Amino acid sequence: MEHPSKSSTLQLGIFVLGALAVLTAVEFTIALTVNIWQVLAVIPMIKAGLVFYYYMHIYRLFQADTEVDRESFAYKLATNRMGLWLFLISDSFIFGGLMISRINLLGLTRPDLIQVLGLVVTSVLLISSFFANRAEVSMEYGDHKQFILSTTLTMSLGILFLVGVLGVEWRLAPFGPETNLAGAVFYVMTGFHAFHVLTGVIFLAIVLRNGLRGLYTAEKHWAVEASVVYWHFVDVVWFFFYPALYLIGTLAK
Amino acid sequence: MRKLYSIGLIRGLLWQILGTAIGIGILTGIRILLHLPAWKAESAFVLGALLGALFFVYGIGAVDDWIKVAGGKEVHEPDESSWGSMRYFGVSLDHKVVGIQYLVLSLVLMVVGGSFAMTFRTELANTGMQFLTLMEYNTLMSLHGMVMIIGILVGVGAFMNYLIPMMIGARDMAFPRLNAFSFWLAVPASIILLSSMALGGFDTGWTGYPPLSARAPIGIQMFFLGVSLAGMGTILSSLNIITTALRMRARGMTGFRLPIFVWGALATSLISLTATQLIGLSFQMVMFQRLFGMGFFDPAKGGNPILFQHLFWFYSHPAVYVFVLPGLGIISELLPVFARKPLYGYKWVALSSFGIALIGFLVWGHHMFASGMAQYLRVPFMYSTLLVAVPTGVKFFSWLGTLWRGKIVFPVPMLFVLAGIIVFLLGGLTGPPNATVATDLHLTDTYFIVGHFHDTMFGGYVFPFFAAIYYWFPKMTGRRMNETLGKIHFWLMAPAFIVLSSMMMRTGLLGMRRRIADYDPTLNITNDHRVMTVAGFLVALGILVFIINAFWSRRNGEIATGNIWNSRSPEWQVPSPMPVHNYDKPFEVVGEPYDYGLPGSVYVKFMEEE
Repeated sequence: MEHPSKSSTLQLGIFVLGALAVLTAVEFTIALTVNIWQVLAVIPMIKAGLVFYYYMHIYRLFQADTEVDRESFAYKLATNRMGLWLFLISDSFIFGGLMISRINLLGLTRPDLIQVLGLVVTSVLLISSFFANRAEVSMEYGDHKQFILSTTLTMSLGILFLVGVLGVEWRLAPFGPETNLAGAVFYVMTGFHAFHVLTGVIFLAIVLRNGLRGLYTAEKHWAVEASVVYWHFVDVVWFFFYPALYLIGTLAK
Repeated sequence: MRKLYSIGLIRGLLWQILGTAIGIGILTGIRILLHLPAWKAESAFVLGALLGALFFVYGIGAVDDWIKVAGGKEVHEPDESSWGSMRYFGVSLDHKVVGIQYLVLSLVLMVVGGSFAMTFRTELANTGMQFLTLMEYNTLMSLHGMVMIIGILVGVGAFMNYLIPMMIGARDMAFPRLNAFSFWLAVPASIILLSSMALGGFDTGWTGYPPLSARAPIGIQMFFLGVSLAGMGTILSSLNIITTALRMRARGMTGFRLPIFVWGALATSLISLTATQLIGLSFQMVMFQRLFGMGFFDPAKGGNPILFQHLFWFYSHPAVYVFVLPGLGIISELLPVFARKPLYGYKWVALSSFGIALIGFLVWGHHMFASGMAQYLRVPFMYSTLLVAVPTGVKFFSWLGTLWRGKIVFPVPMLFVLAGIIVFLLGGLTGPPNATVATDLHLTDTYFIVGHFHDTMFGGYVFPFFAAIYYWFPKMTGRRMNETLGKIHFWLMAPAFIVLSSMMMRTGLLGMRRRIADYDPTLNITNDHRVMTVAGFLVALGILVFIINAFWSRRNGEIATGNIWNSRSPEWQVPSPMPVHNYDKPFEVVGEPYDYGLPGSVYVKFMEEE
């Protein structure tokens, strides 16, 4: 595999983050002004596409070489990648089911939530994804210091997101899970997502601990890649949940 | 004592009891701290059961290696060749051991579920209530459904795990630890599912529709939780199967040289990988509705009970293809062996499994014709359902073409294969009346559906499953099962079952409703019910003969270490039973898999040491 230069990967990471930020800002503005749900449904797909390609490297799945030795690291790595992606496909069905329930139960209404807070936690998760990408890329170049720093930042931002959603939004929401449908949908969707963020943070913590002991090298760091890809996936889920909960439609009674 | 504790299963069960107690304790403790009434049975048992399951998999050691990896330690695969039969009672990474563990669990579950059926079948032999209360009847009837379904899922897992790595020439599954984990998740899940009987039972049927399930006794929570956990196990197992079949094949084994069973297993795994999440989600949403008062399916809060049915059937309809596709694969696998002819239309049969699986995703609404879902949806669902007949017809056509002018021999596995084809045909032919809206509105919720469903399950799963056990038993043990006992099993079970399911359909047309504990004597179906009860016991007797046969033959059966069926499949080219990592020498695929009877054709060639 030919490696682009290290600085060009940083530029790419920043560019993708910028594009995601602009798209999120567009989403937010559209929601506050004209609120066309079709646009709000398409933008997350574009964002997801960007992350799938540039951050999660979905194309690596199709680069699996079948001719190499079965017992080699490269062959096992490609097998592991396939397993991880199958898991993500499976997991996306549970989030898809939640989205379908939300559409069926709430339609073009949304729960009464704090808009600023929604934008803040979304940005936090976006930036954490950028650092997750930095962590993986640094490891690919064997830059341990940068890897430790980026992983720590990713984890901290993830915890900040959890505090924002569970600690602030859940407490300040003017409804409980039993009050009305909007409450029920809001708590179950954020709950399922927060559980995944929590597992992602734990996964990153394990990787960070092992990284500090120097268990990963530029050549062999499957655990780093897996935790980062999983983290991006959790982020992509939020791309869809954010407009579904905060932006689309009018306030539910 | 210490010796007992060293047995994985015992350790797991002890840990599960501990976990349950801790879960109940934690919840009660929190409630005391919050100054709430200390005892809330429902939340306590749910948390207890959940922790119990997690403690079980920890206690038995299914996650030990992952914990070591997370702690930064190296892990090595243990050498299991000296463990003897204790391998079967604890965590083993050998796919053949896991397959047999699945098989035994499946048989246990199906015997339990079958005994439930026998109990309420006896109750139905007469009008009025004989010896069961209504709640007991409902619980047994509901649990019969779900225990059998889990049993079938586990049995499907058994053959996929046992056969696929051998058939494709792999050392093991792609992820052996995940494989063991997914199996050991099914054990506490089954225990939790069955524990619902002790917690008041439930009266919803296996579908667990709200609003009824939202106010059933606590047993329903154990039902939901048990099924969710078992579902998680099947998801992980299907992930493993897909990866194994795509990445671990022997050299030269291209897509159209794969055994048909592997094609069926791939299609099956595709369904259980994705759709299973939705039944889990729908069940968890009812759990949350009960625990936290969320109003998803509560019309009083604006919720929509129909949404549950959509989520539920999006899995539960494709699930029946999960049950039958491997079974149909086994039929296609065994027919050429016993007809001594090439499998007719190999490519079409291979692709038909995927056809069935993909169409299966588009048909769930046919379970809801009478549910009050939007009327315009009925017709597209009707047509998509009828379309399933096309790929299924391809399979029947291939089977007939394979049998046509073959030199057929009739050992026990072949008898079960043929019975499977006939019974599945009966089940298939009684399907279209249920798929057609006009007739279904009359047939829905009658015993006709029950008869149709049991025909598809027995034809697509139970008969091929027994065929597979008789066929691969020598591979597992090195001894073959007794033919005479096998024939007694067959002739007790197959005719009695056909009588049973046909009578089910007849009484259904005469007005017998499904899921009810009693019926009107003026329907004049009491005698039909008695015939069904007798037939049911004959089926059970046949299975008893089978169990005796299996236990007896394991030690005393005729020794059969060679290729006793004259199969071309690679696993029969080496002596039985197989060593821990399957093949000593790798093989290469050089020809077509099912060219039976063609002179000079070779399927696999073992490579010599260089």
